[in-house]
Amino acid sequence: MIQPQTLLNVADNSGARKLMCIRVIGAAGNQRYARIGDVIIAVIKDAVPQMPLERSEVIRAVIVRTRKEFKGDDGIIIRYDDNAAVIIDQKGNPKGTRVFGAVAEELRELNLTKIVSLAPEVL
Amino acid sequence: MGGTSAAVPSHGLACAPPAAVTLNPRARRRRASSGSGGHRSSPQQPLRSDLLPPATVACRARSQSASSSNVNFGRGDDADKLLEDLLKQHGEVVYSSGGPPDPTVEADDDAECLSFAVSLAKAASEIKATDIRVLCVRRLVYWTRFFIILTAFSNAQIDAISSKMRDIGEKQFSKVASGDTKPNSWTLLDFGDVVVHIFLPQQRAFYNLEEFYGNATPIELPFDTQRQ
Repeated sequence: MIQPQTLLNVADNSGARKLMCIRVIGAAGNQRYARIGDVIIAVIKDAVPQMPLERSEVIRAVIVRTRKEFKGDDGIIIRYDDNAAVIIDQKGNPKGTRVFGAVAEELRELNLTKIVSLAPEVL
Repeated sequence: MGGTSAAVPSHGLACAPPAAVTLNPRARRRRASSGSGGHRSSPQQPLRSDLLPPATVACRARSQSASSSNVNFGRGDDADKLLEDLLKQHGEVVYSSGGPPDPTVEADDDAECLSFAVSLAKAASEIKATDIRVLCVRRLVYWTRFFIILTAFSNAQIDAISSKMRDIGEKQFSKVASGDTKPNSWTLLDFGDVVVHIFLPQQRAFYNLEEFYGNATPIELPFDTQRQ
């Protein structure tokens, strides 16, 4: 359940550390909350120094982990410890080269196989 | 009869956990991916269905022994012997795990995917893609079997390669690709068991997927691939 003003961790090595959601896009119409696999517009609140991404930059990100439990098509319910997102560009390519932590396999069905193939563990 | 039928479910429950516990928990997740691509023939699932009938047979046998041991209560030797005999007959089935999948089934399954992957790589080399690598990643990740990583030099070339690969997938192997439809600096085609990554040279160096999947087994290709 990610909505504007939600703070998220960054699960890649792009250089950002904290994001704040400012708009939920994608999926059905004028929805309020984003869940795993949704694209959001976010602003970088905290970044690693000497990296291409800087604080207060507006970027797109895909949500890969949520504390709100996520139910897959096969009935398995996954709940993570944190809200995390991976930064992507306008074409959907990840800005970082590696993804950290576990990601859900459902991302693959949402045409985000690039993120899945960079992740160390797929649930 | 009523006694045995009543005993069966309870023993069925008692017997179920060993089989359920030892099954590979990832087998459940494979089903989801087969739904997405609609073309995965998982080697794990037949095993699970194979496992069930013998387990019920064994349960029935044990429930009989339980009822007979109730009758012969006090003569522990007989009951023990009976149990031992039954364990010899059915014990293996009751306590067998899903275990390693049958290697022949696995090899057959892999062979089909491998031939698909090699034909895709061949098609890419015909359109002058360079540095083609086919990696067998099924030991590292469970969601796919083969990666094809290749370099192309322009969007037009990427478009040609991806459309040819889609044609081959649909016409010869009846597999439909998901993934990128427009040429991109990293174009990904997802055929389910085979995932194709088409990179521009810069992106290939940037993401460096070969290093990330360094433990994967490289597959020898029947043609020469130019190395940069």
